[in-house]
Amino acid sequence: MSFRQPSVLPGFGLTLGFTTFFLSAIVLLPLAALVAAAGSMHAKDLLHVVLSARAIGSYKLSFGASLLAASINLVFGFVIAWTLTRYEFPGRKLIDALIDMPFALPTAVSGIALTTVFAQNGWIGRYLEPLGIKVAYTWLGVTVALTLISMPFSVRALQPALLEVQRDLEDAAETLGATRLYAFRRIILPTVLPALLTGFTLSFARAVGEYGSVIFIAGNLPMKTEITPLLIVIHLEEFDYQGAAALGLVMLLMSFAVLLTINLLQAWGRRRLVRTGR
Amino acid sequence: MSITLDQVTKYYAGAPVVNDVSLDIGDGEFFVLLGPSGSGKSTLLRAIAGLAAVDHGRIALQGRDVTHVAARKRGVGLVFQNYALFRHMTVADNIEFALRVRRMRARKRRARRQELLRLVALEGLDDRLPAELSGGQQQRVAVARALAHKPEVLLLDEPFGALDAKIREELRRTIREVQRELGITTVLVTHDQEEAFAMADRIGIMNLGRLLEIGAPNELYSRPQTRFVATFLGAANLILARRTPDGIQVGAATVPTADQGPGTREHEVVAVVRPEEIELAATREALTTGYLARGTVDEVVFSGALESIRVRLSDGAQAPLLAYSNGNVTPCLQVTRTQPERRSFGVRPGQSVAIGVRRVHVLPTPLSSFTACAPSTEQAEALAHAPLLGELAARMKTRIVTRAEPGLGLGDAPCEGAGSFVGTTVIAASPDTAQRSEWLLRCGAKDLLVLPASAPAPQRVLIHWLGEPARTATLAVSASVLRHFAAEAVYVGIVAGSSGSQRPRGMRALLDARSEARAVHGLEMRTELRFGDAAQELAQRLAEAPAQMLIVGVSDLDRFAERFGALLDGGRWPVLIVYRSAP
Repeated sequence: MSFRQPSVLPGFGLTLGFTTFFLSAIVLLPLAALVAAAGSMHAKDLLHVVLSARAIGSYKLSFGASLLAASINLVFGFVIAWTLTRYEFPGRKLIDALIDMPFALPTAVSGIALTTVFAQNGWIGRYLEPLGIKVAYTWLGVTVALTLISMPFSVRALQPALLEVQRDLEDAAETLGATRLYAFRRIILPTVLPALLTGFTLSFARAVGEYGSVIFIAGNLPMKTEITPLLIVIHLEEFDYQGAAALGLVMLLMSFAVLLTINLLQAWGRRRLVRTGR
Repeated sequence: MSITLDQVTKYYAGAPVVNDVSLDIGDGEFFVLLGPSGSGKSTLLRAIAGLAAVDHGRIALQGRDVTHVAARKRGVGLVFQNYALFRHMTVADNIEFALRVRRMRARKRRARRQELLRLVALEGLDDRLPAELSGGQQQRVAVARALAHKPEVLLLDEPFGALDAKIREELRRTIREVQRELGITTVLVTHDQEEAFAMADRIGIMNLGRLLEIGAPNELYSRPQTRFVATFLGAANLILARRTPDGIQVGAATVPTADQGPGTREHEVVAVVRPEEIELAATREALTTGYLARGTVDEVVFSGALESIRVRLSDGAQAPLLAYSNGNVTPCLQVTRTQPERRSFGVRPGQSVAIGVRRVHVLPTPLSSFTACAPSTEQAEALAHAPLLGELAARMKTRIVTRAEPGLGLGDAPCEGAGSFVGTTVIAASPDTAQRSEWLLRCGAKDLLVLPASAPAPQRVLIHWLGEPARTATLAVSASVLRHFAAEAVYVGIVAGSSGSQRPRGMRALLDARSEARAVHGLEMRTELRFGDAAQELAQRLAEAPAQMLIVGVSDLDRFAERFGALLDGGRWPVLIVYRSAP
């Protein structure tokens, strides 16, 4: 097998060189530094830092809230993407543009805005308070913030896929006797499943790494509303670089594990599809 | 009847895309809906399938009213232009989809699938994915899938559009065979007339949302009733001719016609001459058919079995008043000749030839051409360039001539060329329109169009006549006008007097008008009943909405200006007056 693929564009060697250089300089080397910093610790110290009750509480919150946020976006991102691709209504372009707002806004601004709305005397918070629901300064607030900032990823991943599901497919299913629900389950969902998973993955990855917006709404109570990135910053402020690196390494490994699982699931799904096709 | 449509109408953004379509399709019939893109044929098919809701009218399948029945309960099979196969399913799963939905047992499903695959000649491809099949094979799968649940009606929406010529022909034959074998009622939508000819038992031709004509392919080709069908189905030369007591006078030739009644009044008609009905020869004497005119060969295109020639009529030939082809009014005739004809008399560009016609078909349309009429030549020229008139003439593929009539608007001045009005006379609206109209009608104009400055294309055409002698002509003119606009037709019945006692009589008149319009003129129209004075009620109705036009038939000119002053003066609406007096 030839290493080199024929292409209309010349300069394969040059572009591959650039690719490896940039990936190394801005991704691999910093990661290596992280591993090295954490690795210079004694095993006992390392375990002490990463397995402390405070750290474990923060993992639970960070990954739990991120998975929840990504799941929420899986459903509502689908609904939004569906509405935007399927219907023509006044203001559609405006809403489409609004989707990208969380991308552009400094995350701290999102956090402060959310806190204002969801605080006990905020626009929404004041109506939730009598019901006994507290959003700001609880894990719920963390989830809301993560949902907001990761929402564009799932919508944008789904839109092109939904555009491709032709109207005709649904019409065909309908003339063949399928109910809408049946057509959705058997025709639309299988067709957009890869895009759904991609959107989920991106949302999750974005949420895990989020810092700016969460610290304003979370309240940052150790063990309760403290996310791992914040704990890392706290370690840094105490000049405990090694401890910070150790926590960073744990995040890196866990994120990698989640993303790998999703990717494997996706690949398995594709293979299964092709196999049943044979 | 397998499929019955009754006044089916569908609006899109306020304009009718399917306009009052009524149609009966028999059991086991292969019916083709033919029309240009945007004619509403696909929308009509989707309405039959239940994928598009209709705004008015009824749809029945096998005698069962399904107008408000969901697509999945209608028992139709639909095949799409882009196949619309489920890409993540195998051929087998695609075909079995409808059976799975109906919870059929696996064994029975498999048996049905094998049967269908044999029918479309795809045995053994059960386990392929659609992406692994060629376009022709994919469309065969789509046909098998649409037939799986034994639908009562098979609907095909441009099924060959995405295929190349060879495959197309093969698939065409397969579908025709399958259709015959199953005896299933089939409706095919296409814009390709060759396809329609090859497959149809009957063809229905649509344009601007209206179903213009229905008939067997050869019938529609040799005896079209409308300009659109004549030119859309094959090539046609449209010629303005005169109907005389001896026959149809086309140029220098007079061709006898079968339907020639002795009492026929001499008038202008639109004649269709198919390109293959024209003969070319070196001299007038060498022609074996009636001499039409002399012309010069403009262009010769060789296309295998046939040779197509464009002949420009010589300037001196006063004869064919007009020939129309390809969107422009040109003094050119399209001619096609077979190889034997070409060998016996070869032509090349620039050569002068004598032209003869073998067969002429006269369209029954009452609107032949337009004459823009005004007191001075300049005003007539300006009127001839009015946008609405230009649009109408272009759509009708006819011409506009100008005519100065100095007496127009002077009141009781005598007119010069009395009785010589040809086609439809057009005047600009003015403060004294009613008086001018009366003057022209007394001078001999039969159809008179009053055009306000800057009138939009009508979205609704109101129809009314005063006096029975004008009835038939008014309906014929209305049918002709409405074939060229995507407008809805409304017959306004007006009964003098109060509403209570006269209602039954009025309703009867409406029903009579509607059934005559449908049976004799192929025009579908709505009806409304009003009470009071005709001119006043019409003016009131016209004022209710913008973009309306009135076609009004009159049979006597007694106190005309007085009676119609309120309706005509000031020119707020286009009005077409059809005048036919009692014999």
